[in-house]
Amino acid sequence: MVSDELRKVILNVLKLDAWEIADTTLAAEVPGWDSLSHINVVSAVERHFGVGFKTVEVIKLKNVGDLQRLVDSKLGKQP
Amino acid sequence: MKHNHADTGTIWDRWCQNADKSPNAVAIVHWRAAKIPLRWTWGELVETAKRYSVALMSRGIQRGEVCGIISRHNPLFYPVYLGCVCAGAMPAVLAYQNPRLHPEKFREGLEGMGRRSGLDWILTERALESVLEPLLGNGRSTIKGLQFPFESDEYLADVEFGSLGEAVSVMRASDPLLLQHSSGTTGLQKPVLLSHGAVLGHVTQYAKFLAMSDSDKIVSWLPLYHDMGLIAAFHLPLALGITTIQIDPFEWVVAPSLLLEAISAERATMTWLPNFAFSMMADKIKEEDLEGATLDSCRMLINCSEPVRPRDQEKFFKRFALRGLKREALSSCYAMAETTFAVTQTPPGREPATLAVDPQLLAKGIASQVVNGGKAKICESSGELIPGCEIRIVDEEFNDIEEGRVGEVLIKTAWMFDGYRNYPEKTAAAIRDEWYMSGDYGFRSGNEIYIIGRKKDIVIVAGNNIYPEDVEAAINDLDGVIPGRTVAFGEEDIEFGSERLSVVVETPLTDESKIKQLRTAILKAGMSIEVSITNVYLVPPRFLIKSSAGKPSRNANRDRVLRLKSAELTMQFGGVNDGLGRAEKSDPECVEA
Repeated sequence: MVSDELRKVILNVLKLDAWEIADTTLAAEVPGWDSLSHINVVSAVERHFGVGFKTVEVIKLKNVGDLQRLVDSKLGKQP
Repeated sequence: MKHNHADTGTIWDRWCQNADKSPNAVAIVHWRAAKIPLRWTWGELVETAKRYSVALMSRGIQRGEVCGIISRHNPLFYPVYLGCVCAGAMPAVLAYQNPRLHPEKFREGLEGMGRRSGLDWILTERALESVLEPLLGNGRSTIKGLQFPFESDEYLADVEFGSLGEAVSVMRASDPLLLQHSSGTTGLQKPVLLSHGAVLGHVTQYAKFLAMSDSDKIVSWLPLYHDMGLIAAFHLPLALGITTIQIDPFEWVVAPSLLLEAISAERATMTWLPNFAFSMMADKIKEEDLEGATLDSCRMLINCSEPVRPRDQEKFFKRFALRGLKREALSSCYAMAETTFAVTQTPPGREPATLAVDPQLLAKGIASQVVNGGKAKICESSGELIPGCEIRIVDEEFNDIEEGRVGEVLIKTAWMFDGYRNYPEKTAAAIRDEWYMSGDYGFRSGNEIYIIGRKKDIVIVAGNNIYPEDVEAAINDLDGVIPGRTVAFGEEDIEFGSERLSVVVETPLTDESKIKQLRTAILKAGMSIEVSITNVYLVPPRFLIKSSAGKPSRNANRDRVLRLKSAELTMQFGGVNDGLGRAEKSDPECVEA
């Protein structure tokens, strides 16, 4: 499940007030989250949570749920 | 447009010569993140292309027909494309469906494109079958059928590979080779038609100017529906018989370090990039993603397809100089599909020339060099004319103007396009006495050509052309928008190294929650036509300045909005909206709502 914290980071980068973001949400479904802004979203998430992603990990992300699980795994949280 | 390419031969002949000469040399490296790259040798590539050509013809594709190719980063793209050419059909590489785009809109785009370009067939992946099938037999589309050559086992089975038929034997240099579609949505795309002779002649001359040799290797993440990707990074190396390394554009934009990884691993020597890519790689690549990366093999990184910003090239150089990047490897180019590709180019082995000019005089059309340390704008040259290309700088009456004066750039080359296919009125409007009217503003200084702006209202975001009309039309009918009172324009984003798309929209709404809903609806309207709107300025009725024709003027309103922004007269709605107009009573131009 996507945490409020991750949701806020994403919305903040995209300058959105509110937007429903669930596990299955695709970047393309969120206004402003296009291929060019994707790297900004990922960087903001890395900065906010104090984690670092590998290139291949970022390329494999399919939806926001994947991003949440990646953050959790970096923070040592159990799935 | 007069050109005689009778002696150049065809592209297909050239590919076959390359395969005969070096069958085991690598033609294409299909790069994949975190996977072993796939390599097409010349022998395998041409042989597979021949098989595809027979399969295409046996399934009804005829000489002269247009085959739209829609695929993701697929290693079979290359022999399918070459196979089309071998069959005498015209490949037209088209963008894959963006997940943002509703399938109906995607189909409408293809229908609109087909009405002009005469799109006969779509060669695509099975994954798009259900999306594209409604195009068949609907009475609006020119498309005769969908074919799935990327399912190679199925597609190449049961085909008699005895001969290549007649297509190759009757192919001539003057025959059309390919269609290159300009960007834009339905109705505004212009299909640029290029012949074998134009492409082969151009890339041969351009390669000579770039002092290219057998030891060069091209690397590119550019999409192949873009002229820079298709001509510079695909046709040019294939015509020369040198290796091209193709990176998935979608992987690169997520992980820009892939380009440096590929350069390092393959010892690539040349690449073409839009300006924003220099900025993005300098800013976004993490040091830990650069392990072992070196740019010492690179002799040219050519900045092209959007205005060159010296600041971004410098930023890129500073970031990567310690990784072997040579300053003289940074280069620039001015190019367009209508001239096949390049018109001017920095000669190899030196940096682009720059000129510090007085910005106020430049705004008046005079490029006057600042010599005594006064306020200056640094203009970067797009290089010198490539042999075979001519340029005129003209005033509004098409009179030639002197060196150092800004005017519209007219171009004539030996490799001009054969017109916009089935679009005689657009072709006629673009050509005057054999000169192509680029719509760009520039000036000449010695042998150097400087491009500094454009007459057309096109917005260039990360190398992609966006037509403001498309954006305005998408927003116009939204609830809360005053019809006909929207203006779209490009806004410089220094950090991004490119333009961002901005819109100014008049609305009678005053309720804050409704304004937020409108802003979201505007962003979604942009998504529906595959563009990202970065800045939304909601303004009260009668804010927009009209032109003499009675329509809101893009330039005047852009200038006004930017002036208001810089004067910090803006008011933000809810902290997230770039609203203007409700706090600007001090602005003398502001009309009280």
